Amino acid sequence: MSQSDPTGESAVTQTFAITNATIVPAPGQEMKESTIVIKNGLIQAVGSNASVPADAQVIDGTGMYIYAAFIDGMSNTGAKRPKSMERPRNLFTPDPPNDFAGITPENSVTSQLDIGSSSIAGMRKVGFAVSHTVPYGRMLPGSGSLLLLTDAEHMDEMILSKDVSLFAQWLGAPGAYPNNILGMMAKWRNLYRNAENHKEHADMYEENPSGLPRPTSDRVSRAFFPVITKDKPVMFDVDGMLDVRRAMRLQKDLGFTLMVAGVVQSFELIDELKATGTPIFLSLDLPDEPKASKDDDKSDEVKALEERRMEFYKKHVAQAATLQQNGIRFGFSTKGARGSKIKGNLMTMIENGLSENDALAALTTSPAAMLGISEITGTLEAGKMANLMVTTAPYFTKGSQIKMMFVDGDKYEYEVKKKKSKKGDKEESTEDAKTKTETTTLSAAGKILVGSWTYSFTTPGGEQTGKMVIKEDEDGLNGILTSDDGSPDNDMNDITFRDGNLSFNFTVDAGGQSVEIIVEGSVEGSAYTAEATVEAFNFSFELIATKDDTPKN
Amino acid sequence: MKTRYILFSLLFLLCAISYGQVKKGDVLIKNGTVITITGGTLENTDVLVRDGKITRIGKGLRTPRGVEEVDATGLFVMPGIIDAHSHIAGSAINEGTSQVTSEVSMEDVVNPLDVSIYRALAGGVTSIHLMHGSANVIGGQNETMKLRYGTTNPDDLRFEGAPRTIKFALGENPTRGGRSRGIQPQSRMGVENMIRNSFTEALAYQKKWKAYEADKSARKVKPEYDLRMQTLVDILEGDIIVHCHSYRADEIYMLLKVFADFKIPTLCFQHANEAYKVAPELAEFGATASVFADWWAYKLEVYYSTAYNAAILTENGVLTSINSDSGELIRHLFHEAAKTQKYGDLTDDEALALITLNPAKQLGIDKRVGSIEVGKDGDIAIFKGHPLSIYAIPQMTFVDGTKYFDISEDKADQRIYINPESSIEDVILFEEHDTHQCMDGASMATFGSFLFNNHFNNHKH
Repeated sequence: MSQSDPTGESAVTQTFAITNATIVPAPGQEMKESTIVIKNGLIQAVGSNASVPADAQVIDGTGMYIYAAFIDGMSNTGAKRPKSMERPRNLFTPDPPNDFAGITPENSVTSQLDIGSSSIAGMRKVGFAVSHTVPYGRMLPGSGSLLLLTDAEHMDEMILSKDVSLFAQWLGAPGAYPNNILGMMAKWRNLYRNAENHKEHADMYEENPSGLPRPTSDRVSRAFFPVITKDKPVMFDVDGMLDVRRAMRLQKDLGFTLMVAGVVQSFELIDELKATGTPIFLSLDLPDEPKASKDDDKSDEVKALEERRMEFYKKHVAQAATLQQNGIRFGFSTKGARGSKIKGNLMTMIENGLSENDALAALTTSPAAMLGISEITGTLEAGKMANLMVTTAPYFTKGSQIKMMFVDGDKYEYEVKKKKSKKGDKEESTEDAKTKTETTTLSAAGKILVGSWTYSFTTPGGEQTGKMVIKEDEDGLNGILTSDDGSPDNDMNDITFRDGNLSFNFTVDAGGQSVEIIVEGSVEGSAYTAEATVEAFNFSFELIATKDDTPKN
Repeated sequence: MKTRYILFSLLFLLCAISYGQVKKGDVLIKNGTVITITGGTLENTDVLVRDGKITRIGKGLRTPRGVEEVDATGLFVMPGIIDAHSHIAGSAINEGTSQVTSEVSMEDVVNPLDVSIYRALAGGVTSIHLMHGSANVIGGQNETMKLRYGTTNPDDLRFEGAPRTIKFALGENPTRGGRSRGIQPQSRMGVENMIRNSFTEALAYQKKWKAYEADKSARKVKPEYDLRMQTLVDILEGDIIVHCHSYRADEIYMLLKVFADFKIPTLCFQHANEAYKVAPELAEFGATASVFADWWAYKLEVYYSTAYNAAILTENGVLTSINSDSGELIRHLFHEAAKTQKYGDLTDDEALALITLNPAKQLGIDKRVGSIEVGKDGDIAIFKGHPLSIYAIPQMTFVDGTKYFDISEDKADQRIYINPESSIEDVILFEEHDTHQCMDGASMATFGSFLFNNHFNNHKH
């Protein structure tokens, strides 16, 4: 295989031609030994006899596979979590301030965008060119926008389409109304009914103001106006089956256009999805495969419980296949999924019955259709945006790697790592060896944090101890919390380390409801002292950890 | 012809939408001792259920073709038990962040996956009243349900057509919240005041909307919509039955006066441990009571109690039921009813009415359930041993003629959904030393459930 463009980054031309590649213009189609021409951010030609323009940078695509780049149905990619709001003094009112209650539908995710966010390059690296990015917040954080995952000078360059959805989730205000699903359902109804009335009033006033009281410019109500006219759908982040049903119940009562995303349990919703045609984006996060106890003399009861747990694990990993079998179109959402796990999770879904074509459709054509951008992206066709993924082998094979991404016509290249095969791979080059060394080099933060820590915390429920194991890979820091009493491990999410302060969060299952615990604190030497906050219950406790001794290297 | 066809398919479609999921069964229960509650106890009698409804009661009924036969020889057949106060099968119980949350409704948070539903069926229970908690003065609306276990769709569990009900709470629970936050109510006086103020506000709201509706102008502007106020208006207009958490006689009497002042005719007191002290007053008002058989002393206001409460109320003409308020007691409400024969000498029918017909009346569903009568729903429990005997063992439970529990087909694991990331712990039924370690080994999972239990569920009774 020859090296393409040894000069690397030079953007002397925005015209590219990848020749002699296998092109998959759309799921189920394949064009061998073909050329794709990219010019001014668009695909100019695709075909076996596409002519290469004189100004094109020609890339030899021999052995490469070219796909339409992926489209993410829902994520926070590119958005920055705003600082948590200070607790207002008197919260025990029936209607606390909207900002604290999480009722800010008038906001836009564009006000949370950070062009320097590492998540942009991170998701691009695993194949995504477009993200439906939604804002951080509580029950009604604001509108989501379609973003191009490019290295932009200014955030405006990234915005493909602003405020395409009203984003909603079941996340109550800590210690204030609406605190849980009970209050949120009622609040939704109240807000919506009032918005309908306000709209009626505003419309009447616009037609003829004479003799009518002036309609107040209620920004929350006004944010619902395009939803009421069905010009804007409501995108609900709802993982579990009951959460989806509750969003559907509101939809049925109020009549807006609903989309659901982040869904993990849709295998229980086949009839409803068929009947309503609700656009759905499945979570690209999968549960860890349950491990059976290694205890030799475990009881038959434990064995039976393990079998049933496995039965449900299988349902989860076959979720996409189940929808496919029932003819239900779906896309995917990366919210809550780690970039480095996405390909593996897709392969697991395929092992459990999802066809490669349907998997590709769920990453390209289906989200394009559901998000209303089919005319501009989702397939490789002349005239569409140049959003491409170039891989070293058919994407849905174990060893395939992404070699190049094109987003809006901009080229991004990646080092291709060659895995040592058991027979000994002659192709392994010195450069690849160098790449490997680079990935094992720890960042400044990694040097301090990577390793095993022993943690403990005490709640009124007793003391909990275990290990906090932090690692670093190409995606940055990641870690797990193990527990000494044999409870399942918990992933450490959103690990950040700045000025000696380490923060992360993890989720525990509280009687069927997942509860997020945010841990923030300082690292001094090998000691970590932190405050863990359970926002949902407005409750904090101290967590301390000590780094275990490691042999010096 | 064509229009008729269209109309027919439309009707069919409508039916399919409203009742598509609910199973209606056919069964002939043969040769049992049928405790009808309303029509005496009938020996060697058959009960026929067709399409979910009781169609015939009699001796030697012929089995219609295709109808399953159940031999109840030597067994007792009674109406399915109804629990007028339950918190099982709810994803959340309290929206306790504000003192008046009449707008919230348990119908939004029904959790059909709760295995407690099956356990209740195994105790002969066929309907429950899923109540909002008692953290606030005017809590949320409750949901009356049929225990059609085995579905993941909450809609399948709704008691279709049951009247709306709502939870109010008096005494220590709402005042504790008030005191800890420095807001009203901090005393029982504050509770009364808050209820009166809420109804007064609701009257003003009602007036605003009535004026809007009476306005003949084409260019009129709607008043602000407030689901909280609208729900209170619905109470004032008699569309919602109030079920009020209460213990002390003085506060029970207080609420009678408040309801009389606002001309609200129906009222059921929940718990009502001191109701026996104001039994004649309750009877005169027409208020009802749903009580425990013998559960008290879990907080100061619940010390002055007696196991004769249900019997005294019944003797005084107060419609009374016995409830569980617990995922454990719900499994043997028949024992709870039997206690009124030790403490109060109620007849069998009176005792069993406490857990069947009387709660049905309190929930406004007595035309459908609560007794074995032709035309009523096929909600039936079959017992080995008389249900008021300590040796009684539930055998089968039917809802709408469909069997949801059969002791002979009782699987070890009845869960509908299992989180693949959940942990499996060794099951230990009981060991003496466990009793002193209830807080030990708070794992990630139990830590979560600890928080859950403490922050969501602690205001149940």
